[in-house]
Amino acid sequence: MIAPDWLREDRLPHIYCTGCGNGTVINCTLAAVEEMGWKRDETVFVSGIGCSSRAPGYILTDSLHTTHGRALAFATGVKMARPEFNVVVFTGDGDLAAIGGNHFIHACRRNVDMTVVCMNNHIYGMTGGQGSPTTPPGAISTTTPYGMSEPAFDLAELAVAAGANYVARWTSYHVKELTKAITAGMRTPGFAFIEARTQCPTNYGRHNKLRTVPAMIEHIRSHAMLIEKRDRLVREGRPVPEDIFTIGELVRRNRPAMGVRR
Amino acid sequence: MKLVIDESRCKGCNLCVLVCPYGIFREGTELNSRGIVSPVLDRPERCTNCRLQALYGRMLCGICHMICPDQAISWVEEKPFEPHRVEVEF
Ligand SMILES: Cc1ncc(C[n+]2csc(CCOP(=O)(O)OP(=O)(O)O)c2C)c(N)n1
Ligand code: SF4
Ligand code: SF4
Ligand code: SF4
Ligand SMILES: [Mg+2]
Repeated sequence: MIAPDWLREDRLPHIYCTGCGNGTVINCTLAAVEEMGWKRDETVFVSGIGCSSRAPGYILTDSLHTTHGRALAFATGVKMARPEFNVVVFTGDGDLAAIGGNHFIHACRRNVDMTVVCMNNHIYGMTGGQGSPTTPPGAISTTTPYGMSEPAFDLAELAVAAGANYVARWTSYHVKELTKAITAGMRTPGFAFIEARTQCPTNYGRHNKLRTVPAMIEHIRSHAMLIEKRDRLVREGRPVPEDIFTIGELVRRNRPAMGVRR
Repeated sequence: MKLVIDESRCKGCNLCVLVCPYGIFREGTELNSRGIVSPVLDRPERCTNCRLQALYGRMLCGICHMICPDQAISWVEEKPFEPHRVEVEF
């Protein structure tokens, strides 16, 4: 078991469905926290509403389970009041990019010193599988029964454009790389955004011909392309497949940050 | 070290079956008392972490342990193997 000192063992097994990627992302985040050597009473986990946002409930620190979309607003408050605290936010694609979209871009712009881990499963998992701003074109959800016709947000690129100091994207298959990225984000002063593409077998997989958990993970893995490889293809003038998404570190920089521990 | 699956937590997603480079986890076939089909272990003593954790003093490989969404995989200490006489009665 990962990080037994940080997990509320009495709450396990958690409520997540069989093979839900959120459990893996919790493992990676707690492994990163252990790597940082943070103290439990100086670390706060904050989340909004959604399956992903239930994660702090399984962690043995003080936490805020707030209203839908507002995790970053509450986390900013915690950081302003207690800059010595380590603040980690768990959020979902719906929580962060739909109802919480404005908080997201402004927290990046202000570059508030916190680490945000977004479990992007391309769907509103908790409420039964409605389309979200990251549902890929063509995907079936309960609100897009003929296939999603709108383009999707690229959350990591959005965070780069809005000003975050650290941005990376991995998946729930790339556990070691994801852990390293979360650790690097925690080390970087300012806003660190780590997007983890995860599987929601129940409300995404079942409607999109990905019936088993290994099939879903295999789908994610085979559509992930390292940023370096994508850049090489572009340089060499070779075609980049349209349905891939990039993985790796998008940015690590030193813009002025807010709430950095003195 | 000995590899164990905690059947009170495992939900039978088979992600461990997908990731282990040695194919130590095999898809199970039998329902357990919780109504879940947990994977079965095929010669777990081949696992890198079982063999070498004590020598290196840290976790080796550990991919199954990281990816298991239900925190069901762990290693327990094992007494060193002691050779003993086996008597076979006819
Ligand atoms: C103000 C408000 N609007 C709507 C909801 C209903 N609601 C609960 S969770 C959710 C979507 C969550 O999606 P996401 O953040 O992607 O989390 P997931 O369950 O996919 O991890 C919605 C719309 C709510 N709880 N509060
Ligand atoms: S509905 Fe989807 S996101 Fe929610 S617990 Fe189940 S698999 Fe995970
Ligand atoms: S990954 Fe974990 S929960 Fe899934 S089958 Fe293996 S032991 Fe069970
Ligand atoms: S630690 Fe590695 S080798 Fe050992 S069982 Fe897990 S995946 Fe297989
Ligand atoms: Mg979601």
